[in-house]
Amino acid sequence: MTGVRERNGSAWLLPARPGIDPGLRDGMRRFDDGDEVDLVIVGAGAGGATLLQRLARAGWRVLVLEAGPFWDPERDWVSDEAGSHDLYWTEPRVISGADPVPLGSNNSGRGVGGSMVHFAGYVPRFHPSDFHTLSADGVGADWPLRYEDLRPYYEDIEGELPVAGEHWPWGDPHGYPHRPHPVSGNGELFLRGALKAGVTAKVGPVAIANGRFGNRPHCIYRGFCLQGCKVNAKASPLITHIPDALAHGAEVRADTMVTRVAVDGRTGRATGVHYEHRGTEHFQRARMVAVAGYSIETPRLLLNSASQRFPDGLCNDFDQVGRYLMVQGAPQTAGRFEQEVRMWKAPPPEVSSEEFYETDPTRPYKRGYSIQTVSPLPITWAEHIMAQGHWGTDLRKYMSDYVHWACLGALCEFLPQAGNRVTLSEEKDRRGMPVANFSYSQCENDTALMHAAQAGMEEILTAAGAEEVITINRYAHLVGGARMAATQDAGVVNSDCVSFAVPNLLIVDGSVLPTQGSANPALTIMAIAARTAAGLIAASRNGTGHLPN
Amino acid sequence: MSAPATGGSKALPLTERDGGRRFPGLHSAELSGNWDPATESVVMQRLGNQPHMRYLTPAEEAAADALFNQLLGQKEEPRIPIVQMVDARLAEAATDGWHYQGMPEDGRAWKISLAWLDDDARLRCGSTFARAGWHEQHRVLQSVQNLGKDNWHEWPASHVWSLWTRYGCTAFYSHPWAWDEIGFTGPAYPRGYKNLGLDAREPTEVADARPRQDPLRRQS
Repeated sequence: MTGVRERNGSAWLLPARPGIDPGLRDGMRRFDDGDEVDLVIVGAGAGGATLLQRLARAGWRVLVLEAGPFWDPERDWVSDEAGSHDLYWTEPRVISGADPVPLGSNNSGRGVGGSMVHFAGYVPRFHPSDFHTLSADGVGADWPLRYEDLRPYYEDIEGELPVAGEHWPWGDPHGYPHRPHPVSGNGELFLRGALKAGVTAKVGPVAIANGRFGNRPHCIYRGFCLQGCKVNAKASPLITHIPDALAHGAEVRADTMVTRVAVDGRTGRATGVHYEHRGTEHFQRARMVAVAGYSIETPRLLLNSASQRFPDGLCNDFDQVGRYLMVQGAPQTAGRFEQEVRMWKAPPPEVSSEEFYETDPTRPYKRGYSIQTVSPLPITWAEHIMAQGHWGTDLRKYMSDYVHWACLGALCEFLPQAGNRVTLSEEKDRRGMPVANFSYSQCENDTALMHAAQAGMEEILTAAGAEEVITINRYAHLVGGARMAATQDAGVVNSDCVSFAVPNLLIVDGSVLPTQGSANPALTIMAIAARTAAGLIAASRNGTGHLPN
Repeated sequence: MSAPATGGSKALPLTERDGGRRFPGLHSAELSGNWDPATESVVMQRLGNQPHMRYLTPAEEAAADALFNQLLGQKEEPRIPIVQMVDARLAEAATDGWHYQGMPEDGRAWKISLAWLDDDARLRCGSTFARAGWHEQHRVLQSVQNLGKDNWHEWPASHVWSLWTRYGCTAFYSHPWAWDEIGFTGPAYPRGYKNLGLDAREPTEVADARPRQDPLRRQS
């Protein structure tokens, strides 16, 4: 493993103040539409930005097209809940199924940095067991990858974010490059309750530097991680990968919406992408295309890229595009304490437990859940209270008690199901493109996990001394929708994220995940992107692979 | 961008029994000098004049105003101008983007559901929802909430309830006067927090004057 700065100098390219260096941004290389770049990437989030940085550093001519803005954190982001609405993908979408999943806020991203701009900051690894749940547990799917294939990339990305936390005893035990952060009242209560309940809980793992890192300053514990970190302390690709990519000749073309991937009907190869920028249509030529638009927009783009060769949507010969889309069940349980907790102080991500992550043969369900501190700000907290049925004066009365509550959140491993999928709706967006319809229904195992996780959180909070507990059922994260598989009839891409149908088309985002564990997906998405990049670079250098030519 | 000093220190009328005056002297808007300019601009706009109504018709405005007063328990002035704040969002289509299959986008869903509220009020009280008495309005809404996942008119009541409360709570709890009532001091950049932990407070924070006023315990 090389030093962080030798493989990614982003933290040292940042100015000694919030945001990224305007000189780096304004002076970046710019390609013409007619230039055939080596790779055009659709989406500058966890997957796209990581891929961009790796390939730019290897000397590739790379360009990312991002639908949202190129953020200037000091100007564009605010320390305010309602004022942060622009961080989300809010274009029209339809939700359906027995358990429709609201979109457009916590599970969406927009702009350079993607949803990591507003993610809490938890970056756990997946466990080795996540990669073969079908063989081991009879549920989910087996990946065409093993944990060991990702391990070196996990280690690299953990160094680049960087990650702070205690030594991690679960999954493949490992340490973190930065020491754990001090915890607030919320984390203190989780640790206290877990100890009394006999549950192991640890501080971390969070993508917030503990101490200076390059030119990034120390966290100021202001608690607005979910509104975009103005401080530059919490990681997002905007500050962890984009600066190094720009310094190595990559272009980030913001405010461009890709509407279609073009494939030559004769050769069967991708030739570039059609995109719209300020109302004008363009075509960017490229030798390779990587789609990284996340679990709703990636399938939507493929389905909207139908052609004579692919009448049911690009890469959809086996009706796999859009399927096996997953959310995590994310119930949050809060406890009332006589002391003031003021849970909103300090970053929401502090302490977590993965003790219930794997299948427990004594339980009536397969796989499991994790528990983490969360700390809802006032508007989100009001949703908790409303979910109990309170409104009017009742609501105001409960809300006045805000300072006394601590809150935990669980992530339940909902299983991949073929019927949970994105299709195209009859409804069109302002460009005339059909919008995504996301249908979602839970299975029995999912519902059982939600109940188990709630009981687990109630036990910990009660052990910590909570006088009352309340729970809100909700969802978090999206993965799947264009999954990797061993064979073309079971997925959309192979283990290198190359599509089965088009040899120079890749998908490099959360949609390739076949299962999700009960881990937040950001780190795994970045690790997969880094691994994909390493494969592309190796193939181009030694000429053994079919990529990039 | 300086704060209108008077606007910042107004207290919403809420009796002690209903959770009022637990944080005496907390006026979060008066801390705006500690905020960064981008945040200050966004938050302080909520204390100034709101944009003119553009999206809802006068009849819809009346129903929505009464609905929000009920949902957020705003019985008397001063009130947080929720209906103007929501109208601005709808006029700018600043929605979350998604809508349930079988329901239209949020703006349209608002207009239709407000008309149904008037229909129900006419049937039950012989007047529009806005002109019905406080207790009658409360009963109309309670009957919608009681339907749960069953349909109210043509849509699941829970979906409509979630639409109403989502917009109402977002407006109300984005306002500094509401923060004062719950002990929240608002934006925290660039100052951050120095005193983390149980019962630990910053110099700008005010201790809860009635820490035993647990609404859950009092109900049981």
